[in-house]
Amino acid sequence: MPTRAPRRRRNLAPVVFVAPFLLLFLLTFALPIGYAVYQSVMDVEHTGALGLGGSHTVFAGLRNYSDALSDHAFVRSIGRVLLFAAVQVPVMVALSAGLALLLDSASARGVRFFRAAFFLPYGVPGVIASILWGFLYVPGVSPLVDGMRHLGVSVDLLGGDTVLWSIANIVTWEFAGYNVLVLVAQLRTIPAELYEAARIDGASAWMTVRHVKLPLLRPALILTTVFTIIGTLQLFAEPLVLKPVSSSIDSAYTPNLSAYNEAFTNDNYHLAAAEAVLLALAAFVLSFGFLRLINKRGGDA
Amino acid sequence: MSRTTPRHRSRGALAVTLAAAALMISACGGSTGSKDDPALQEPAKPGQKVDLRFWSWVPGVDKAVDKWNATHPDIHVKLEKIPAGSSGGYAKMRAALKSGNAPDLAQVEYQEIPSFLLENGLVNLSQYGADKDRSKFVDWQWQQGVFDKSVYAIPQASGPMGLFYRADLYKKWGIEPPATWEEFAQAAQKIHDADPKAYISTFPAGNSAWFTALAWQAGAKWFGVNGDTWSVNIDSPQTLKVAAFWDDLRGKKVIKTEPDFANGWYKDLQSGAITSWVSAQWGDAIISGNAPKTSGKWAVAPMPQWTKGANVSANWGGSSTAVLKGAKHIPEALKFAEWLNTDPASVDLLLQGGYGWPAAADGYEGTSLDKPSPFFAGQKYNEVFAEADKNIDNSWKWIPTIDATYQHLNDGFQAALAGKGSFVSAVKQAQKQTVEDLKKKGLKVSTGQ
Repeated sequence: MPTRAPRRRRNLAPVVFVAPFLLLFLLTFALPIGYAVYQSVMDVEHTGALGLGGSHTVFAGLRNYSDALSDHAFVRSIGRVLLFAAVQVPVMVALSAGLALLLDSASARGVRFFRAAFFLPYGVPGVIASILWGFLYVPGVSPLVDGMRHLGVSVDLLGGDTVLWSIANIVTWEFAGYNVLVLVAQLRTIPAELYEAARIDGASAWMTVRHVKLPLLRPALILTTVFTIIGTLQLFAEPLVLKPVSSSIDSAYTPNLSAYNEAFTNDNYHLAAAEAVLLALAAFVLSFGFLRLINKRGGDA
Repeated sequence: MSRTTPRHRSRGALAVTLAAAALMISACGGSTGSKDDPALQEPAKPGQKVDLRFWSWVPGVDKAVDKWNATHPDIHVKLEKIPAGSSGGYAKMRAALKSGNAPDLAQVEYQEIPSFLLENGLVNLSQYGADKDRSKFVDWQWQQGVFDKSVYAIPQASGPMGLFYRADLYKKWGIEPPATWEEFAQAAQKIHDADPKAYISTFPAGNSAWFTALAWQAGAKWFGVNGDTWSVNIDSPQTLKVAAFWDDLRGKKVIKTEPDFANGWYKDLQSGAITSWVSAQWGDAIISGNAPKTSGKWAVAPMPQWTKGANVSANWGGSSTAVLKGAKHIPEALKFAEWLNTDPASVDLLLQGGYGWPAAADGYEGTSLDKPSPFFAGQKYNEVFAEADKNIDNSWKWIPTIDATYQHLNDGFQAALAGKGSFVSAVKQAQKQTVEDLKKKGLKVSTGQ
């Protein structure tokens, strides 16, 4: 085996180059996930009515997971974000795509201004945006609600049936501009020759959109869709901020809010970890499910 | 197209994994502390400078801290204002305790002391001689910080309850301030009849602490402890009576159901759409601070009674200054906590800020509380609360999972407003859930008293 030694030396180089990435990956990715999973299978036991006899951490198996899944409020919160996603994802993607195509159309004026204007809300932190919109939702304070009442339309934007869509409005306002920017960037990469060819072939503006722009926009659309799916599942800041002004947002309105409350209000860190892991799993399943679906269709096309 | 897809797919996958990782980091907690107390700390040597960190949200506390710093050059207190406990203050404290980075002192409300004890977050102050301060405080408030015969918190203030009402509007409509809850219900109807935009008050579905105080007044005793077993009795007849009373008013649409301490509610206080508020003494600062233009129009009456001629009040709120586990200078922290809540100059500054009813034994007579108030049309309104303070059932106890109980009640009340169930069913549900909460913490529970 005379060849063995040199080969081993040659194999050292990739390891050295990959090491920084691996280290970062372990520290910022594998370790926190491992820690969350570890926390989710542990539990605390107290001695004495007030724990004055001390407390210690014990292995709990999957009890936290079964507790989370048998908690109606938590299960309902998952259902709620799924419903939210079912509406929000198509609306967001269609709106972003529509705005991006309009900005990209040859006859569009003030493109730079509108691009900045669409993007501006993204620069507003989610908490601030929610406070801002909160003012516009509360009757007696909001010019919007009061104005509509003067017109004879009485709406309760914070009621049980409406508040989810009031939140959807905030989320759309915040993130549509960001998605538009991603899509516009992709549109800019389309070579001018393709438009020229389409024009020579006698394609109308609509046909150019349908057969040239949209297909080439597909990767960016997939990206923004996945971002939106993940974003909706993580819904947190908006309901948290609106909670004090609405009687319809409870402490487990979204899975993230539930995990937050379990951890920082009820001191159930282990249950919170289990809920977070469950939510992460849901995000994985949905995102990869979407990507698989898209790729299968892409393969057929 | 097929050329670009795989590249984007992997990028999408990376985004998913990164987002999931971020989400888990944000939600995972730290390890639990051990039960063993560290060795007793020695007081600082004379001339040694000590820095203390203090987390509080109480209005006016900054002035008291300034006063301390001006008069105690060796012990400097650095005040950090945090959001009020349930609005995020406790979340911050718990996170700090978990990560071993807690401040020396923090504001902890009475009902939260057992939760912090269960999480091993408070220092046993008896080891540092706190018991000698006992006589300086109102006894029942002192007892709120005593567990297993040891002191864990220095009391600061409480919230004896009364009825704030718009004397001018009541007079205009010929309505007397209700002495009983039955009269309260009648007044609710009269007010709404007199002005369709006006209501006697709101039922704050998201503020169960308020509802708890009403149940307390009705004679409920939700929690008790016998040895190491907790008793939970939320769904007692007394509580159900209170819930049914508000169910009835809600059904008649003579009360509002908007959240309190929110923009809409402040607006209603200003405009007179909310004409009364059953609240604690510290409510004076809330009203005068948020509806300054209604000055001279308010008055205070005793809390409505369940039995005519009775004189029962309750407590809403109440707070202590606690020394947190991990404090670096416990003897000095205790010294400051005691000064903050008993020194006449400090108490007076806190009173001006509107911190509530003093826990200091001689906190009322002769202080700025004991004066007629222009905001309340010259009424010496604190006499009502001084009287109420004597008529509170002081044996009320809290459990270590009270936040969860509040949440269950809030969620149930909110569901009732959304047309699912009633306040009564919310109370019954909260009883079951609270028993579960305590069991989940590994504690022993029995139901009934």
